[in-house]
Amino acid sequence: MNARTMRLRDLDPILMLAALALVTLGALLIHSGTLNRFGPPSVSDFSHPVVRQGVFAAVGLLLALVIARIDYRALGFLTPTLYVVSIASLLFVLVVGEETFGSRRWILVGGTPVQPSEIAKLVVIIALAKYLSDHQESIGTLRVFLTSLALAAVPAALVLVQPDLGSTVIFAVIWLGMVTVAGANWRHLLGLFTTAVIAAPFLFVALRGYQRERISLWLDPESDPLGAGFNILQAKISIGSGGVFGKGLTEGSQTQLDYLRTETTDYVFSILGEELGLVGALLLFGLFMLLLWRGLRVAELSRDLFGRLIAIGIVVFILLQTFINVAVNIGMLPVTGIPLPFVSQGGSSLITFFIGLGIMQSILLRHRRLSFRTFYEP
Amino acid sequence: MQLPSDNRRRWRSRGRHRPQGEIFRQRFLLLKMLIVLLFGVLVLQLVRMQIVEHDAYQERAEFNRLRLIPDLSTRGLIFDRYGEQLVYNVPIFSAAVIPADVPKDQLGTVAAALSSITGVPSQEITEQILAGQAGNNPFTPVVVQQNVDEETAFLLRERLPELPGVQVLVESMRSYPSGTLASVLLGYVGRINADEYASLQNSGYQLNDRLGKTGVELIYESTLRGTTGYRQVEFDVTGREIRTIRSVPPRPGSNLVLSLDLDLQRQVEAILQDAMGDSTNGVAAVMDVNTGEMLAMVSLPSYDNNLLTDPVDEEAYLRLLNNPAKPLVNHAIAEVYPPGSTFKEVTGTAALQEGVATPDTRITSRGYITVPNEYNPGEVYIYRDWAVLGTLDFYGGLAQSSDVYYYYLSGGYFQDGVQVFRGLGAKRLAAYAREYGLGAITGIDLPGEAAGLVPDPTWKQETLHEPWTLGDTYNFGIGQGYLAVTPLQLLRVTAAVANGGDVLVPHVLRGVIDEDGNILRRVEREVAQALSISDRNLAVMREAMRQAAETGTARSGASRFVTIAGKTGTAEFGPQPDEGEDHPTHGWYTGFAPFANPEIAVVVFLQQGKGSRDAGPVASQIFDYYFGRERLAEERLTP
Repeated sequence: MNARTMRLRDLDPILMLAALALVTLGALLIHSGTLNRFGPPSVSDFSHPVVRQGVFAAVGLLLALVIARIDYRALGFLTPTLYVVSIASLLFVLVVGEETFGSRRWILVGGTPVQPSEIAKLVVIIALAKYLSDHQESIGTLRVFLTSLALAAVPAALVLVQPDLGSTVIFAVIWLGMVTVAGANWRHLLGLFTTAVIAAPFLFVALRGYQRERISLWLDPESDPLGAGFNILQAKISIGSGGVFGKGLTEGSQTQLDYLRTETTDYVFSILGEELGLVGALLLFGLFMLLLWRGLRVAELSRDLFGRLIAIGIVVFILLQTFINVAVNIGMLPVTGIPLPFVSQGGSSLITFFIGLGIMQSILLRHRRLSFRTFYEP
Repeated sequence: MQLPSDNRRRWRSRGRHRPQGEIFRQRFLLLKMLIVLLFGVLVLQLVRMQIVEHDAYQERAEFNRLRLIPDLSTRGLIFDRYGEQLVYNVPIFSAAVIPADVPKDQLGTVAAALSSITGVPSQEITEQILAGQAGNNPFTPVVVQQNVDEETAFLLRERLPELPGVQVLVESMRSYPSGTLASVLLGYVGRINADEYASLQNSGYQLNDRLGKTGVELIYESTLRGTTGYRQVEFDVTGREIRTIRSVPPRPGSNLVLSLDLDLQRQVEAILQDAMGDSTNGVAAVMDVNTGEMLAMVSLPSYDNNLLTDPVDEEAYLRLLNNPAKPLVNHAIAEVYPPGSTFKEVTGTAALQEGVATPDTRITSRGYITVPNEYNPGEVYIYRDWAVLGTLDFYGGLAQSSDVYYYYLSGGYFQDGVQVFRGLGAKRLAAYAREYGLGAITGIDLPGEAAGLVPDPTWKQETLHEPWTLGDTYNFGIGQGYLAVTPLQLLRVTAAVANGGDVLVPHVLRGVIDEDGNILRRVEREVAQALSISDRNLAVMREAMRQAAETGTARSGASRFVTIAGKTGTAEFGPQPDEGEDHPTHGWYTGFAPFANPEIAVVVFLQQGKGSRDAGPVASQIFDYYFGRERLAEERLTP
């Protein structure tokens, strides 16, 4: 603490307010989506989804503030431990996880379902940041390039087995974003890209039956409008019928008559599209852009590469989850169980992203060197 | 001095050792562009969906939310001319499923539960639901079992909340208390088949609809059916009704009043049944000669239309279908037979009108006439009369039903190559036969009518590729040979003779009334053709027929209560039998009464029978009953 000052005014309130605005928007949508099953929320009813979401958000916010106080560089020392624990939890979920929709993604912790892959993504971000910043000088070498790839590939492979193709893609893209910003060799990236293109057809063959089915359904949801294509089709109908201004919160027929399934988790964006329309979607995108821009500001301001890479990783993480989730809702991508950051109902995801924000704040709080050093800088 | 070289070095090494800050700036820019690009893509797609294609999605959301539930109308009732109800609508319960409302993961549960309640194999139910889901009408209920008893319906109703998509339909079944008695007229109602649905779905018919399959139920389908109503209902995804948005109530079908006299029909059927003997088929029909209304129409054997009305008794249906006597066919209108001597009404009136004969024309029957072969004069054909009848005038010719007399009228007579009597000739006779409505359908309001055949030289040449002979004309003149008529056509001929020359369109509908009894439509008398035969000539025929019924061959048709005019016919059919065996014959009788002021005409037909022996007594009893109902009832009360 003596080598730098920590000033509370360096905290970025905009980052937090954007996130809280997203949570609020999400709570309204969850309220609308659960209205006919749970009725309006009451504060004392902790089984009500809106109340639970509020509690998770409060816990997340509290965690973020606590983490902001901790020096993010301490995470560097904890990285090996965190990494090993999350790999272990991913293995654990494969063995004893709860199965929903044909894949094992959850474990119950004290009656609350926890999705380890969410936290694992954050841990991988930290681990990659640590490794890449420790090997800043030799970032251009193939050894460092491949080692960093392996760090991301192990958890990616474990979630692929669950199977959770969406999370696998997210691990891959987080890694790609981070090594690119860290200054990886273009030729290595190009080589990997070529390998991926050649391997893609083989990967498609290796996909599980249900994954291939999802892809073909995504290409043609009308082939089974009452069965597996139902969600895809109904989500598109919901959003398309919302129009510019939407049908009004709690007024969407698709949402209220239960034509949307898993509407408060994976398909929360469809509620927004139907009830708040294009205007609501632009508001949501605006909040996300604000959040991501402030996240990039953290990366820019960070005093070291470790912090910078963590911030980049989290930005890529949020960007990608948001894009994939919305793209699935509007039928641009095949169905994957990726929640919308801060908006979708679910504790694991919400708390993970708040922890991410906490780390960003921690980076911000420590970005200034001693004031006399600024005196020397032009 | 150092500056330039320093600059140069920097320039060279720019690619490999750029300062960290610059790399970050570039890659931040890249990331920012990526963010904008990704959100831009999402916004573009949203604009496409929410603005450009909004209307289409809106429509689909409405389609999801709102369903049109057809509200079937109550089918109209049918009464006889005196208000006797001939059909009832009886409610029945059916177990049904709306395929679209059965979630995939619950298909097995629903099928198993339905199976345990109804007893229909669950495999069958599953297949029905899957077929429905794959089809174009996943919201139309698929009937799993029709006509379940009330207890089963109650059981099903109780379990509806746990069985998504399952419904208990209350449907309406037709019940015909008269059963076999009037089935040839009434027909029956059945479930719509695939072909019918394809052509009728635009007229408001539903996939599981019912419609008239034959008889009056078919012909007056649109009148009886009424208009299907609709309810626009908001549904949630499990098929639960949320609320009715708007509704168009169904308009009930109108009621039919038939010209049928059920009491007379019952009597006619009983009389004909008694007279059937060895006959496989029999027909008896009564027509009002002044209006063309059918008062009775019996075709035996008959069938019970309750067995065929939906739900169909398949076994009974197959039995009826395979019965060689064809009970499902209305023999009065759908089958054609040679009319035999009853056709002399036509030949006789034609001859009078054409001046071939007058009431005083005398012709002697020696029991036969001979005709030399036109190409081989040595060969002689013999055309027989039924007896040696001596010399007869026109009245006697008809009353005694002399075939020789009518050979002369139709074909003339040549003696040693010289024409001693000039006949009508086949062409003129055919023209009169057609004028009487033979060879064409009568236009009665019943389905399946046959046209019959009026032969002439052109027809024979074109169809059989043989020249017409004098013998063909002789056979034609006595109602044999190629001539073929339905009993109804013959009845219409008699009615035309009786009413002074109007060939009427026969009909079974008298009028249409609404549920309050207001008359919506009255069926008017319709003349298909006014005969070119003068009433004087028709009066000669009527008198000849009166004599036939009084003293001639048609005596067996006479009535205790009324003066009738009649004509028998014993028509040979089939190939020439072996020597010594009788030619198989159909028995006919046709007549009208009262003679002075005709009201009704009657036709009786017995397959494998003789006119005066078998058909005449049937006609006689029908006349007795029609004109002596009250007195017969009194007689029965005072033994």
